[in-house]
Amino acid sequence: MTDSGGNAVTVHGLWKDYGDFEAVKGIDFAVRTGEIFGLLGPNGAGKTTIVEILEGLRSRTEGEVSVLGFDPEGQKDRLKDRIGVALQATNLPDKITVREAIGVFGSFYSHTVDTARLLQRLDLWDKRSQYYGRLSGGQQQRLALALALVNDPKLLFLDEPTTGLDPQARLEVHSLIEELRAEGRTVLLTTHYIEEAEKLCDRVAIIDEGRIVALGAPAEIRARTVGASVIEIRCEQPLEGEPPADNAEKIFVSEDGKELTVTAAHPARVLVEIVKWIDRQGVELADVRIKRPTLEDVFLELTGKSLRE
Amino acid sequence: MNYVFPLIFLVVFGMLMHVERGGLTVPVVTMVLVIAMLGNGLFGGGIRTVQDREQNILRRFRVAPISPAPLLVASMATGLILFLPALVLIVVLAHILYGLPWPAQWASLLILSALGVVAFRAIGLIIASVANSSQESQILVQLVYLPMLLLSGTTLSITMLPSWLQAVSQLLPATYLVIAFDAMLLRGESLARNWPAVGVLVFTTAAATILAAQLFRWEKDEKLRPSAKLSLAAILIPSLIFGGYQLHNNGQIAKTKSLHRGMLRNQTLLIRGARIFIGDGRVIEIGAVLVRGGRIAEVYDGAGPEPKTLSAEVIEASGKTVLPGLIDVQVNLASPGGVLATPRRYAPRGQMERALAAYLYSGITAVRSAGDPFRLSLAIRAAIAQGQRLGAELFVYGPPFTAPGGHGTEYTANLPEFQRRQIEPELVRLPATAEQARVQVDELQTAPVDGIEAILDSGGARPVPRMDSDVFEAVTQEAHKDGLPLAVHTGDSRDVAEALDAGADSIEHGSYRDAIPAESFARMARQRTAYDPTLSVVEGYRDFAEGNAALLERSLVEQVGPPDLLKGTRLALSSPRFASLRAGIKSYPLDFDLAKRNLIEAYRAGVMLVTGTDAGNFLVIHGPTVQRELELWVAAGIPPAVALEAATYNAARLLHADRRMGSIRKGLEADLLIVDGNPLADIAAAGNISAVIFKGEHVDRTLLFHQE
Repeated sequence: MTDSGGNAVTVHGLWKDYGDFEAVKGIDFAVRTGEIFGLLGPNGAGKTTIVEILEGLRSRTEGEVSVLGFDPEGQKDRLKDRIGVALQATNLPDKITVREAIGVFGSFYSHTVDTARLLQRLDLWDKRSQYYGRLSGGQQQRLALALALVNDPKLLFLDEPTTGLDPQARLEVHSLIEELRAEGRTVLLTTHYIEEAEKLCDRVAIIDEGRIVALGAPAEIRARTVGASVIEIRCEQPLEGEPPADNAEKIFVSEDGKELTVTAAHPARVLVEIVKWIDRQGVELADVRIKRPTLEDVFLELTGKSLRE
Repeated sequence: MNYVFPLIFLVVFGMLMHVERGGLTVPVVTMVLVIAMLGNGLFGGGIRTVQDREQNILRRFRVAPISPAPLLVASMATGLILFLPALVLIVVLAHILYGLPWPAQWASLLILSALGVVAFRAIGLIIASVANSSQESQILVQLVYLPMLLLSGTTLSITMLPSWLQAVSQLLPATYLVIAFDAMLLRGESLARNWPAVGVLVFTTAAATILAAQLFRWEKDEKLRPSAKLSLAAILIPSLIFGGYQLHNNGQIAKTKSLHRGMLRNQTLLIRGARIFIGDGRVIEIGAVLVRGGRIAEVYDGAGPEPKTLSAEVIEASGKTVLPGLIDVQVNLASPGGVLATPRRYAPRGQMERALAAYLYSGITAVRSAGDPFRLSLAIRAAIAQGQRLGAELFVYGPPFTAPGGHGTEYTANLPEFQRRQIEPELVRLPATAEQARVQVDELQTAPVDGIEAILDSGGARPVPRMDSDVFEAVTQEAHKDGLPLAVHTGDSRDVAEALDAGADSIEHGSYRDAIPAESFARMARQRTAYDPTLSVVEGYRDFAEGNAALLERSLVEQVGPPDLLKGTRLALSSPRFASLRAGIKSYPLDFDLAKRNLIEAYRAGVMLVTGTDAGNFLVIHGPTVQRELELWVAAGIPPAVALEAATYNAARLLHADRRMGSIRKGLEADLLIVDGNPLADIAAAGNISAVIFKGEHVDRTLLFHQE
C-alpha cells in the first residue's frame, strides 16, 4: 500500500505544462502514511493541478509520482478504487436520495463500508431518504465526505473541504478530519484557509506559482522563516528604567511609558522575565498579548505577497 | 411528465384528427410514440447530460473508478425504463379510446421500441458530447429534432412530400422507425419483416455510442473544438448507407405508400339512404352499408344506425344506388384501345398502370387480363395488391396457350427471330406437345397465376393454326389438376363444343361467325360454364371500320381517355391515311347480330353470364368498359338486373373470388360503386358515378391519374 519509505504519496520533479503555461514547475514532496498533509496557497497557485495529477484525473508533463504505490497515470483505475476523493464544487442530481447516492457510488468500488454506519457517522442517517437538492450546504458537504469514504480508503484527497461552509459546519468538518487521522488514514487536503492548515495539518507545503516555497510542520516553518513572536504589554502606570533584554531581540517602549513591545524567538521565557520586572516596580498590568507569526506572515515573508489576495 | 405528455398528445390529436373513424388511429399512435421517443432520447439523454456536466455532477463521477461507457449505458437504460411503460400505456389507451387492435406481436413492438429509445438516446449523448454548453445543446437538439419530426413521416405522411424530400426522409433514422411502427400496428408485421429499421437503429446506436464515448467530457471547462461538432453528422452514416440502398431499390418508399394506403383503407364509412344492389339479384330499396377496416361490416335494411354512435364518415346516398364494384373479365391492358397520336411515347408499364387507374375511376374494381406482358402483369398486380399504386385489382390468367402461329401470336409474328424469342414468353405459351403443355401450366401455377386461358380458334375466313386437341386437352386437365380456373377463347361453335368437352370454366367470346347450337348452351348451363360474349369488341371493330367516333364521345371515356389516344384515334377514324386499316378491319369475321343472338340464347338457356369486353381493342377504351357492355346487353334484350349480376356476382364467381368480392355482404371486401339514379331502371345510370370505394378507401378519383 505504501512505498518503502512509509509514504502514502511521493512526488519527484513534477512538472505540468498547459501549452505555454507552466502550472507546476518541478515539485518534490512526500506524504507520510497516517498524517494530514496540507497544500496551502492562493487560488491559481497550482494546488488543484497537483492534486488532480495525484488522483489520476490529469496527466503530468514530467516527473515521478507514486500514490499508494501506484502510478496515477498508468494504473488509474486501480488507484481510483483505493482512494477517497472529495472535490470542491461537485454536485449530485437533485432527485437522488442520500442512501441512493451512497448505493450508486458504492457500486463502483471493489470494497465498501456499511452504508448505515457510514451515514450515522456523518450524521446523515436521519436524512437518508432526503433528496440531495433539499439538503443544507453542510449536509451536502458531509455527503461528499461520506462518498469519499464509501470505499474505506486509506488515503483521502480533500479539495477545499470547508470552502463555502458556515463556521459551525466548518468545525464539524474539522473534527471529522481529525477523526480520520485517528483511524490511521492519510489525508491530503488543499486549502487557502491558514487557520485550517495550522489547526489540522501535521505538515504543509506552501505553494506559489507552481513551486513549493516552504514545507514542514506549521510551527517549524514559522520558526524557520519568521521566527520571532511579538509580546505587547500595556500597564496602568508608566514604567521606568530598562527592561531585561537578555533573551529579547528587540524592545520598544512607548513615549508615555505605559506600552511595551518585545520581539522574541522564545516569547514564553522573555515574558516571565518582563512580567517579574514590572511586578518589582509595583506597576499594575492592564493587558498582555502574544502575537505568534502565522503562515500568512510566512507567506508574506517568502513571496512578498498576501495569501488572501 | 414522461407519461403525461404523450397521453395528452394522444387524446388531443385523436380528437382533432377524428381518429375514432379508424383511418388515422395507427399514424396518430405512431406519431405519439415517436415524439415521446425523440423527447426521451434528445432531451432526456442529450440536454440532461450537458446539464449534469454544467452542474459538476459528472465531475463527481469522474473521481470514481468508472469510464464513460457505463454512464452512457445507464442513460440508455433510464430511457428504456421511462419509455417502455409509456409505450404500453399509449397502446392500451389507444385500444380503449380508438379501438386500436392489440398488436399482433408485442415482443416485436417492444424490441423495436427498445432499439429506438437506445438509438435516440445515443444520438442525444453524442449531442451532449459535442455541445459545449446547455444553450448549444438546445440548438443542436432542435437541429436534429425538427427534421426528424417533420420529414420522417411522424407528423406528415411521407407520401405527401415531394419526391426529393421523400428521398431526404430516407436518410433519417426516425423514418425507419415510423415505417416499422406503422407496419407492426397496422399489419401485425414482425421485427424480421422490418429489418431495415432494425439495421438503421442498431448501427446508429453503435456509431453514436462509440463516438459519444470517445468525445465524452466530464468537466464543463473542457471545451471541444468547433470542428469536432461535425462528428454529430456521423449518426447519419448508417441511415445514409441504408438510405442509399433504399433509394436504389425504392423499398422503403414503396412500403410507406403501401402503409399509407392501409391507413386510408382503415376508415369507417357509413353509406345511408341508398338503394342497394346486393349482387346476387336481391335489392334493398332503402338501406345502409357500414364499411370498417376495409370490409363491409354490416348491411342494413332501412335507415341504418345513427352515424354519431359509430364514429364514421357519412356518405348520404338518397336517390343513389350502391353496387358491388364492377368486374371486366377480359381486358388487354397493354393495348391502348385505339391509335396513339405519338406512338413513340408508348411504354407498356405506364399504359397498363394508367388503364387500371381508368378502370377504378369508372367504378370497375377488378379486371382479368390474359395476354399482357407476363412479368409486368405480376409486378403491377403486386403493387396494387400492396397498395403502392391505386388501380383496379388485377387477375392474371398468364400468357394464353395457343398454337405456334395461332391466334395470339400475330403481334410478334413480324419481329426478327431473336426479338421474337425474347418477347414471346411474355405474351403466349406455345406448347408443341401435351407433356410440354403440362409443364408450362405447372410453371404458371407457381408464378402464381390466377387462372389459365387457352385459345381455340381457327380464324374462320382468315385461317390461323389452331391448338392440337391433345395439347389442348393436356392444358385443360393440368389446369383442373392444379385447381386453376380455365378460360377458353373460342372462335366458332366447334371450338365452343370442344371447350365444353374439356370442362372449361368459361367460354370467351363464344362465336361471331355462326350460331351456337342450343345443345351447347344447355351443356353450359348444366356444367355451370360461364359465357362471356364481349359484345363491346364487336361493336368497337364495327364502329372503327365505319369511321364512327360515337364511342369516343361518351362522357366517362372523355374523362379517362388519354388525350393522345383520343386525338390519334379520332384521326384514324376520319383520315384517308387510315382508310386501308379500316377496310382491313371490315373484313374481320365479326357479326354483331350473331353475337347478340348467341347471348340471348345463352340467357334463355339459363347460362351463367359474365361481362368481359376485350378492352384494348379498337374503340374499347380502358375505363367505363363494363358500363358499355351492359348497355349493349340490355339493348339486346337482357334484363338490367341480370346484366348487373353478370358484372358483379357472376364475374366474381368465375374468378373464384366471390368470397371476397362481387356482392354486398357482411365480411366481404368493400369494393363499391355508388351511382346517381337507378341502373335497374335505366342501365345508363351505371355510368353516373358518384363515388368509388376500393378495399374500404373512399377513392379520391381526381388523384388517380396523378400517381408518381
